[in-house]
Amino acid sequence: MAVTYELMKSVTAQLYRASLRKIPEDTKDALRRAETHDTNETARKTLRVMLRSAEAAEGQQRFVCSDAGIPVYVVKIGTLVRFEGDIRKAISDGFDELVRTSDPPLLQHVTNPLTLERGYRGKDVPIVTFDLVDGADHVEITCSPKALGSGRWAALEIFSFPSLETIEKYIIEVVLRAGSQPCPPVVIGVGIGGTFDYAAKLAKEAMLRPFGQKNAEPIVADMEERLLRAVNTTGFGPMGTGGDSTAMAVHVNYAAGHGFTPVAVEFNCWINRRTRARIFNSGQVEFFE
Amino acid sequence: MSTNHRLQLPLTEDAVRSLRAADLVYLDGEIVITAGLPTHQRIVQHIDAGQALPIDLTGAVLLHFGGYSREVDGKLEVVYMNPTTSTRFIPYMPKIIRTFGLRAVGGKGGLDTESARAMQATGCVYLSFPGGLCTLYSDAIREVTAVGWQDLLLHYRLVKLRVAGLGPATVGIDAHGNSLYDDLQAQAAGRLERIMESLNADRGKSVPKP
Repeated sequence: MAVTYELMKSVTAQLYRASLRKIPEDTKDALRRAETHDTNETARKTLRVMLRSAEAAEGQQRFVCSDAGIPVYVVKIGTLVRFEGDIRKAISDGFDELVRTSDPPLLQHVTNPLTLERGYRGKDVPIVTFDLVDGADHVEITCSPKALGSGRWAALEIFSFPSLETIEKYIIEVVLRAGSQPCPPVVIGVGIGGTFDYAAKLAKEAMLRPFGQKNAEPIVADMEERLLRAVNTTGFGPMGTGGDSTAMAVHVNYAAGHGFTPVAVEFNCWINRRTRARIFNSGQVEFFE
Repeated sequence: MSTNHRLQLPLTEDAVRSLRAADLVYLDGEIVITAGLPTHQRIVQHIDAGQALPIDLTGAVLLHFGGYSREVDGKLEVVYMNPTTSTRFIPYMPKIIRTFGLRAVGGKGGLDTESARAMQATGCVYLSFPGGLCTLYSDAIREVTAVGWQDLLLHYRLVKLRVAGLGPATVGIDAHGNSLYDDLQAQAAGRLERIMESLNADRGKSVPKP
């Protein structure tokens, strides 16, 4: 038994298909809470219609948003996993199949950055990162297609021996620059430390973390709570037309590094595209988000 | 205070000037949509060259919406549509608004102060259509009445369509120079010092002491 090309292709395509039609349960709960608590009338109206749209899309299996994004997968490979076939190609072929069979069809968002030509395929797309998990006998795949609205506001800056105040001020400045743009209420992922590339990866994984898990490290948990309060004091609100609900969550990851400290900040918009599955050596598939 | 309006298109200047930032609107009638940067560049080239557009935008409602359309029995239908970010069209919008006397523009994310000035001068509002309402907006489509520039990508073309109850959209910039985007950005910048003070004051409070 093994994790096969066919399984990988079919599961990655299914995850993408589902991510376009459903927003995660924790995200719906967060929107409902925001709708109850926001003190701004326009904000409450906007949140109500967002929830109505999410229910309609899920119930009728239609797209929540027309920007289907570009395919982005985070793949964690258990060291006990056995593969059969070309797994990297399976992910790419899965997206090709989704493009061929999607009803309604997807728009062409994959863009060559040098010529601005758009299509369904492009160099290094799907964007996939791989990690190893010791002792696991499954592959865990997270699909989080990235759309333009939230994708373009991510930022990274490198500091030297920064204080927590410097780091937090930078995060708030990035939030202010994004302002009304990334379809708030957003999810904010922050990656601190490591190297240039690793901080961005940490931010991505922080952004994709389910809500409501209190960070195990008190200093990080404290930071997440304070930053969420701070972001929701900016006043941008849902869709940036005013209110107390600018972010549903701020998640922070960090890694040790040298004296230079990258700080990366990434946003997901309110529909928080995030679907997950595990494929086991046995061939069993578990869709759990 | 946010008032709800059901608006019949084409819009009169009076109807537009009666709207206030933060009001909520639903639209009935014909709108024109595009999500293309090349489209905006081409519109401005046509204006500069004194050429007519394939779809007349005089007094129109021009929305930054991306949509998937297809031909069914020789007729075009928009299968789904949703707003896209307006800010990337900022360099072109003031000229387009003034030239055609647009009555409403829209999409998501807003426009800049220069566009707001053009809107105040001509009697035009910016409508914020929340992203992620694809199902609701698509259900408001009744028929496609014209398509311009078929050489462009599907969601870049100029598409004129009739809608019923398209909304809700929030008036993000009204025809009196009020912009929620400018106001909220200024408000957030004004709050930055206080936000940093409370981030600093509360730091470590929830961390258990060893």
